[in-house]
Amino acid sequence: MDVTYARDDVVTFTKSIYSLIIFLVLWEAVAQMGLVYYYYLPPLSDVLARFVELTLSGEIPYHSYLTLRRALVGLVIGTVFGILVGILIARNAVAEWFFDPIIKIGYPIPIIALVPVFMLWFGIGDQSKIIMVAIGTFWPIAVNARNSAQRIDKNYIRSARMMGTSDRRLLWRVVFPAASPGIVTGLQIALPLSLIITFVFEMVAGGGGLGALEIEGVRTFDPTQVYATIIAIMLIGIALDRALRLLRNHYLRWV
Amino acid sequence: MAHADTGSLGVLPRRFQHATRLIVDWIPLAIVVVLWEFASGTAVPADVLPSPVTVSVQIADLLATGEIFSHLFVSLFRFGVGLGLSIAVGVVLGIGMARSAPIENFFDVFLSMLYPIPKVALVPLAMLWLGVGTGPAVLVVFLACLLPIIMNSYNAAGDVDQNLVWSAKMMGTEGWELLRKVVIPATIPHILTGIRQAIPIAFIALVSAELVASYEGIGYLILEAGQVGNYSLMFANIVVISAVAYAFVTGFEIARDRVVVWT
Amino acid sequence: MSDGDISISNLEKVYDDGAEKTKAIEDLSFDIDSGEFVGVVGPSGCGKSSLLYLIAGFLETTDGTISVDGEPIDGPGTDRGVVFQDYALFPWRTVMENVTYGLEEQGVSKEERRSTAQRYIDMMDLGGFEDRYPKELSGGMKQRVAIARTLAYDPKILLMDEPFGALDQPLRESLQDQLLDIWRDLEKTVVFITHDVEEAVYLSERVMIMTRRPGTKKTVVPFDLDRSLDREEIITSDKFVTTKNSVWKSLREETQPEVQP
Repeated sequence: MDVTYARDDVVTFTKSIYSLIIFLVLWEAVAQMGLVYYYYLPPLSDVLARFVELTLSGEIPYHSYLTLRRALVGLVIGTVFGILVGILIARNAVAEWFFDPIIKIGYPIPIIALVPVFMLWFGIGDQSKIIMVAIGTFWPIAVNARNSAQRIDKNYIRSARMMGTSDRRLLWRVVFPAASPGIVTGLQIALPLSLIITFVFEMVAGGGGLGALEIEGVRTFDPTQVYATIIAIMLIGIALDRALRLLRNHYLRWV
Repeated sequence: MAHADTGSLGVLPRRFQHATRLIVDWIPLAIVVVLWEFASGTAVPADVLPSPVTVSVQIADLLATGEIFSHLFVSLFRFGVGLGLSIAVGVVLGIGMARSAPIENFFDVFLSMLYPIPKVALVPLAMLWLGVGTGPAVLVVFLACLLPIIMNSYNAAGDVDQNLVWSAKMMGTEGWELLRKVVIPATIPHILTGIRQAIPIAFIALVSAELVASYEGIGYLILEAGQVGNYSLMFANIVVISAVAYAFVTGFEIARDRVVVWT
Repeated sequence: MSDGDISISNLEKVYDDGAEKTKAIEDLSFDIDSGEFVGVVGPSGCGKSSLLYLIAGFLETTDGTISVDGEPIDGPGTDRGVVFQDYALFPWRTVMENVTYGLEEQGVSKEERRSTAQRYIDMMDLGGFEDRYPKELSGGMKQRVAIARTLAYDPKILLMDEPFGALDQPLRESLQDQLLDIWRDLEKTVVFITHDVEEAVYLSERVMIMTRRPGTKKTVVPFDLDRSLDREEIITSDKFVTTKNSVWKSLREETQPEVQP
């Protein structure tokens, strides 16, 4: 689905953290004084202790690894196919004729609704999760690659051809670099989507991973595990977001 | 290289060209549907991949018996309340943060922390607080839609054309009046962009919450039908929720273009 | 061996967008000698850019032929280099990488590519900007990079499509003089499209005036002068003023609304 708000516009770093400190102190105080049920909101100190415990015991690292492997392998596969199909559509009239209506119909499907379908088709294992992430991330990448490859300045192509670039090499020499900003935009949508698909699949079908670890906390009435897992998810989210920004700043300096 | 596909249609009379184009445009989808119909029951067992005809019959059946409407209503209620709340809170917060430094300083850190978390990861937390059903679904839809709406309102209200503000001030508009008469109208198109971005996110959040934490709604129906092995029902519900999501996005875009005529 | 002469005979170009046919060029014949500098002026929409892109091989002729050194052209080739009005530099490549592009395609070794590119970068006064990206450059600098890029792979013919049209007057003049130096030193054939009569006359040995659409050759005005003179002496000379006026008059006839009998 086309989730296209520009992530660069998001407030990048905290201008002031006093409100966070107030919030955290209140959290600890309210929970310690027993003003809320432990099940709703355990004290911050308990949550942090649990986070440390789960990290040292290797549980959080192991489940993070499972989640990241599923999300990122799927993302890479989806990205490669998305780029290929997106550029093909933009550069080839027959491919455009064939794939464009399919993309138009396929893009608005809330992909997450297909979790039970993938469970039926491919089971509940890693393979099934990876295939679903690959298919889910394919659409935003393909659509953005297509859009930017279609908008390539005609004179770039002409310049390359007059300087001796063959039609076949044109794709790699001009079309791909010119489309790369669009591909990165697609990645900015696809990356969170890959995590969303993985988490929900893990919550519904189990098989380990942070989604499963978190929902296990709910089922065993262990709120600290839920909160500790969310901290891990937040840290991973921050790390991946930074990584994508670095990638962007490095490869798209020219934009 | 893609050459312009003016092609062979040029030989046809103009009024047939449009119809022909329309048919030609839909051939690929027809091919996919025919392949699907053909594969179902031959290459793949029919219960693993029910044929389009079976699924269509199932949808017609769901609509005829009215069975689906109670679940659809539940889902749309959750969607509507969650999105509505996020618009109400997001617009106020976004404009407030843009026009007032203390408000911005206070909320900024929370948004920075909420932003990198895929909002569906908060479904279990919502279950801790609100149990199973409408509560967690509304909360997750609300949180998922909040950021795009805040960001669009914030950016728009932050760079309202300074000339507009000056000319309004020159004419004696001040304070709340300025906000109401200049800032908010100038921000509306961007708020609508934010809502447009939030609609598909809302459907993802809704279905996720219903898959994990609900005994009602289309998301739950999809999962349940899959678990009891009624696969044509499962596919029928997926088609229904996709059509609803598509209708909302398209309907919103049409409505927006009607309302915001000044951009 | 002839080197970079262009022969155009009975050229016709019709655009067909499926619904409507537009004849852009009609029965145009014109020969350009190797090493010659030819300016082309005409009313807007007369097909002068089409003519240039046809010579470049970007567009296909509807009828007639274009030959370079006696060989009919077949698509774009490295014997012809186009300098575009909008520069068309590759934004993802630095100045140096843009200039070496054509040499890369020819399989020239890395050291040779760099030294050749450096020569043209210096020639266009771009020293020190080798590692900048196009977005960091001004319009005039971008156009100098575009010229350096085209010169670097050494085409015999330069096809220039209003290259200085977007630049302000002092910049245009300095680039015009720079172009004349290059033309003389490197002995290129130049076809220069412009809508500026003074620019066309100042630069060219011959100016071709085109008719309104469908465009064809209206007349050719030769302008030979002592190139050792400086700009001011040239543009104030009687010969320049007379030539300019005759080109202007001829062009004027084409831009005036047609009088219905």
